Amino acid sequence: MALEAALPDAALPSRSPQAPRRPRFARPHWTLVAGALLLVLVAVTLCLGPTLAPYDPTAQTLIRRLKPPSEAHWLGTDHLGRDVLSRLLVGGHFAVIIAAVTLTLSAVFGTLIGVISSRKGGLVDEIAMRSVDLLISFPEVVVAIFLIALLGPGYGTLILALTVVGWTPFARLARGLAIEINAKPYIRAAEILGCSRRFIILRHIIPNAIGPISAMAFLRFGHKMITVGGLSYIGLGIQPPHADWAAMMAEAQPYIERAPLLVVCPGLAIFLTALSVTWIGQGLSQTGDKP
Amino acid sequence: MWHFALRRGTVLLLTLLLVSIVAFLIPYIGEGDPALLVLRARIADPNVDQTTLEAMRHHLGLDRPLAVQYFAWLGDALRGDFGLSFIRRAPVADMLGGALLVSITLALSALLIALLVSAPLGTLAAMRPGGRADTAATLLTQTLIAVPEYWMAPMGILIFALWLGWLPSAGWDGPSSLVLPALVLALRPLAYFTRIIRAAMIDVLDAPYITAARSRGLGLRQTVLRHGLRNGAMPVITLFALWLAGLLGGSVVVEVIFAIPGMGRLIYEAVINKDIPVLQAGFVAIVALAVVINTLVDLAYLAINPALRHSHGA
Repeated sequence: MALEAALPDAALPSRSPQAPRRPRFARPHWTLVAGALLLVLVAVTLCLGPTLAPYDPTAQTLIRRLKPPSEAHWLGTDHLGRDVLSRLLVGGHFAVIIAAVTLTLSAVFGTLIGVISSRKGGLVDEIAMRSVDLLISFPEVVVAIFLIALLGPGYGTLILALTVVGWTPFARLARGLAIEINAKPYIRAAEILGCSRRFIILRHIIPNAIGPISAMAFLRFGHKMITVGGLSYIGLGIQPPHADWAAMMAEAQPYIERAPLLVVCPGLAIFLTALSVTWIGQGLSQTGDKP
Repeated sequence: MWHFALRRGTVLLLTLLLVSIVAFLIPYIGEGDPALLVLRARIADPNVDQTTLEAMRHHLGLDRPLAVQYFAWLGDALRGDFGLSFIRRAPVADMLGGALLVSITLALSALLIALLVSAPLGTLAAMRPGGRADTAATLLTQTLIAVPEYWMAPMGILIFALWLGWLPSAGWDGPSSLVLPALVLALRPLAYFTRIIRAAMIDVLDAPYITAARSRGLGLRQTVLRHGLRNGAMPVITLFALWLAGLLGGSVVVEVIFAIPGMGRLIYEAVINKDIPVLQAGFVAIVALAVVINTLVDLAYLAINPALRHSHGA
């Protein structure tokens, strides 16, 4: 979906690489700091999760099912008697990995397409931009569901599905940025000096466009993660018995009245992870905006 | 203008053609033999003997060349005949029509809620950028974007259906069953709408005609209501249309949670049951709607804003 229309106008870099630089992170927006701290917290928890987990996340003890929080089980146990805290600590991997891989692929591919089509123009530009127009209107959940129906669930299918739709906003943004950078005097100078197209793209355009593009990647990260989680929630993402935040919520839904924590905790985990990257993205784009 | 419309129209037709080919090939991409799929769907026995398979293949016309089959399928599809569902044995077109109506109702309700909240919120934020209202609105939108709908939905069910008993917890039965899913679906568009309305209003309020109106003595409220909202509406309409296209089928998770018989759930069930005709028709319907809405938005943009016409090389 073309949500990039809603993103704040990306600030264009106004200086050439040769001009004297102001310190890069002069005044970071507070959301950037808050988001980064939160993200570090989430990342450390996810990395150390398997070691920190007090119990085996898949070990079932049916006589101890749906227990409220206690000293032995800080967050209680689920409907199969598994320790909720242990499952929470390892449950973020699937969605985070897929979102990260998808966004890296989308950003690299989309930026290259956008920048190259802006430099080449003509038929290449026309074909690339019409493909963007077309793919950007595909609802990505639906594309993912169809690919899962054809190829079966798994990392590969989800990454493919989300990248097929996901590269388009990056291409649009990169092309717009590149067109404005192309008009700068230092590009003209590089052209007169006889620099190759490849050199101009790699040395001038991409370094100058990278800020807004990475801001967009962070802003979309949360959305991707939530989409992957949604697919896991309806059983088309990660497959049991692996612990996953969204899948935990789906499993806990029948018991929500008896044990609301089983739904609250994984939801909070997804929310905080998505919030941290969204704040970073927002902070990045606003730090760039300031004079 | 007409040149551009013609070009977009051609692209649209080519796209729909491509989509129809992909949809037609769906049974071939997956498990391989469509005749076997049909047989498996109709009889539980996984071991089918060769004679039955051949008979089925002939019965379904699958022994004809692929191109002939495609044009036969396309002809039927254009007349609105997508065959019978493997599972429900009902005409797919009827199932699709009903589901589409449900999804459109749900999506429109959610988007209207989002618009009703975001229009005043975004305008308020834009009237003093950086002010207290702006900061609050920005914080709210950044937070809402990170809220998974499959978190809000169970929490809403728990609070309003199970604890308070005000609303039904699931189903599709009268307006009361629409409230919770529409509210849950409205959260994310609400955030995006507020952001774009804020951005559009900041641009508009900066324009010379606003200064002129203000200097003629028009109050800030009057200026915003008379000039601001009207001129800032276009990007909002675009985003509204794109969200509408995205929610038809994109609301699958909410539809599954609340047991709403919409497009998303129809396709979800078709995937689970390997109901090929429903998958094909659903794929065509959702993608076609998305592409058509997108093209119409682009054309409307051009028709309304004359300044854009020249930049598209008309």
